Amino acid sequence: MKSSRREFLKAVGAAAVGGGAVGFPAVARAQARKGVPSEPVKVGVLAIRAGIAAAVGTAGLRGTEWWAERVNKAGGILGRPVQLIVEEESNPKDTVERYRRLILQEKVEVVLGGISTGVTLALGPVAEDMGAPWLSWDGTTQKGVEETMPNPKWAFKSVDNEFEAIVAAVLTAKYFKGIKTVAGINNDYSYGHDCWETYQHVLRRYTPDVKFVLELFPKLGVTDFTSHIASIQQAKPDLLMSSFWSGDTTIIMKQAAAVGLFKTMKAVFTTGGGVHDSLKKEFTPEGLLLGYNSMYFDDPKGSALLKQFVREYKAKHNEYPPYECDHAYFCAESFKAAAEKAYASAGQWPTKAQVVKALEGIEVESLSGRRSWRGDHIQMCNFFQGVTTHKNPYDFVTINPVEVMSTKVAMKPAGGKLLDWINATFPLKG
Amino acid sequence: MTANLVNILLGGIFHAAILFLVAAGLQVVFGVQRIFNLACGSFYALGAYVGVTAVRAFTGAGGSPALFIVPLVFGGLLVGLVGVVVERGLLSFVYDSDEAFQLLLTFALVLMLEDVIRLTWGTAPYSTAGLYLVYGQVTLLGAQVPVYNLIVIGASLGIAVGIGWLLTRTAFGRIIRATADNREMAEALGVDMRWVYAKVFTLGTALGTLGGALVIPTTAAMSEMGIELIVEAFAVVVIGGLGSMRGAFVGALVVGVFRAVAIAVYPALEMLLIYLIVIAVLVLRPRGLFGGAAV
Repeated sequence: MKSSRREFLKAVGAAAVGGGAVGFPAVARAQARKGVPSEPVKVGVLAIRAGIAAAVGTAGLRGTEWWAERVNKAGGILGRPVQLIVEEESNPKDTVERYRRLILQEKVEVVLGGISTGVTLALGPVAEDMGAPWLSWDGTTQKGVEETMPNPKWAFKSVDNEFEAIVAAVLTAKYFKGIKTVAGINNDYSYGHDCWETYQHVLRRYTPDVKFVLELFPKLGVTDFTSHIASIQQAKPDLLMSSFWSGDTTIIMKQAAAVGLFKTMKAVFTTGGGVHDSLKKEFTPEGLLLGYNSMYFDDPKGSALLKQFVREYKAKHNEYPPYECDHAYFCAESFKAAAEKAYASAGQWPTKAQVVKALEGIEVESLSGRRSWRGDHIQMCNFFQGVTTHKNPYDFVTINPVEVMSTKVAMKPAGGKLLDWINATFPLKG
Repeated sequence: MTANLVNILLGGIFHAAILFLVAAGLQVVFGVQRIFNLACGSFYALGAYVGVTAVRAFTGAGGSPALFIVPLVFGGLLVGLVGVVVERGLLSFVYDSDEAFQLLLTFALVLMLEDVIRLTWGTAPYSTAGLYLVYGQVTLLGAQVPVYNLIVIGASLGIAVGIGWLLTRTAFGRIIRATADNREMAEALGVDMRWVYAKVFTLGTALGTLGGALVIPTTAAMSEMGIELIVEAFAVVVIGGLGSMRGAFVGALVVGVFRAVAIAVYPALEMLLIYLIVIAVLVLRPRGLFGGAAV
């Protein structure tokens, strides 16, 4: 069973590389630079392919494949074509095993990917141990809101989990003035609990007399929220907050519309943009606050790169890309930039240690704009949230206005306690 | 106040209506074939996906949105025929095997069907968009109730009555009950067991797939949605009594309504309360409320 699954994944990996192979003729013409071997540079990818987060994992993989195709068309990294080796992210134990396999057997230069913090929390120490760079798409090494690896050498981690809850709280105060009572519905695991806690703390900094009247924590994967909605109706809050990010966002939106829930209250979906194109206008009202994490596909100020990506993604997959594509693109692109930067000083294909050194503080152009790695290996970028609108050419909602908030402004800097920092920082000035 | 009560109770009853269909499928199969079919949850998921596909094909071909329930039910029932394949192609070989082995086989089926769904329909949530809302709402004692929820509750009740009628008033029902009571004797009296098993298993499967199809307009299909439900269906049969149809009915109501009340009163108790009831039943009445009665 296990070996056959590996074979299958190999086939998938080969298919991914096959996608990249479209650009091979061009690559063949490109010459490897002096001191650079000519064989392909192997890049390991860990992507969730099953379960609730499979759609997210797929989006990350597609973003990476698009990057690889593009890089190969342009002559590879320092003249070396990119070869993706794709493995599955599943539970922590198996994923760690596959990570080791990528490093030891496949001899990849870098491993990209990791979405579930449950998995990446285990992956972090292993990356340190193995001495090979690992660039996480969406997973952190936080336990709750506490960082467990403040000074990593090889592990590069995503934006703090609770960041979008902070942005949402700031925007709640801005757009929904006069809110007195708030209910929360969040998934019953670390991310859901942390987002809810953080949201409450930040919102209290703006409206100290706000009351949190109900908190619901359904399990991840629940498909019937009828009873939860009845409970929310009973509590009659002015506003409902949710950090749902998967299909449950769509489901609760639909079931809420069936009883007219958002006719009587406002709502904030901090992360619902993860399934943005399933939020159809028929059941998703205007005037809700909706978060798109680190990439908004329809950003009116979006770069030419974003527009090209959205166009090609739609043409190929018949969907509009969610944010995970950008986490993945950034990780891959920053690796490329770091390899080139390290080559400039080393004069030959850089060692893994030279690559991680070059990665620290590096800034590159990603799909959503400029993104960088902070000195302590945390992703720095902009997050996009806004108020839902039906005024667009799609059959699902988009946001207008689009609020952009940087991790430089509203994410806890390295070190210190989250609560102390929140108390010292919010309300934001200006 | 009454509006809240209506919302909470109807939320619970709606959940129970779906749960009953899946649990009834589980019960009828166990009652007759003595196989605890873990794959009942997968059939539920399969019915959901096929239901969406049928509805999309129907509206895509210009069908009136208000009639979407026709292809939905039709698709849900039709895919129930997969039961014949599973029974004849797999289960028929293991009737004499150890129970643990049978359980493992149905669990293997759970994993396989999840992969089949993923390969066929992909990993993204799959739904009928806003069709759920075409029937609008009615106001019941001040509460806004989606008409479609009432249709599902009505359909589930109708099916419960229909199964009751089938089991007690028809020749086939008598054969089923006789088989459940004493398989050897029924066989000795000339009942073709293979035929009965194939029909019963298909009935059980179709109840699950229909349940999945009926629920899907209100939600979105996800490949692992079946697993979530197996756990609750398990609680239903323990409370109601393994193999009993009345048990499935009452068990589903208990689980659905208590879950809804728990969410409204003290949300942290949501599933715990159900397990507490399960434990109480296991301690005080291990056979379940209606256990021991044939089907």
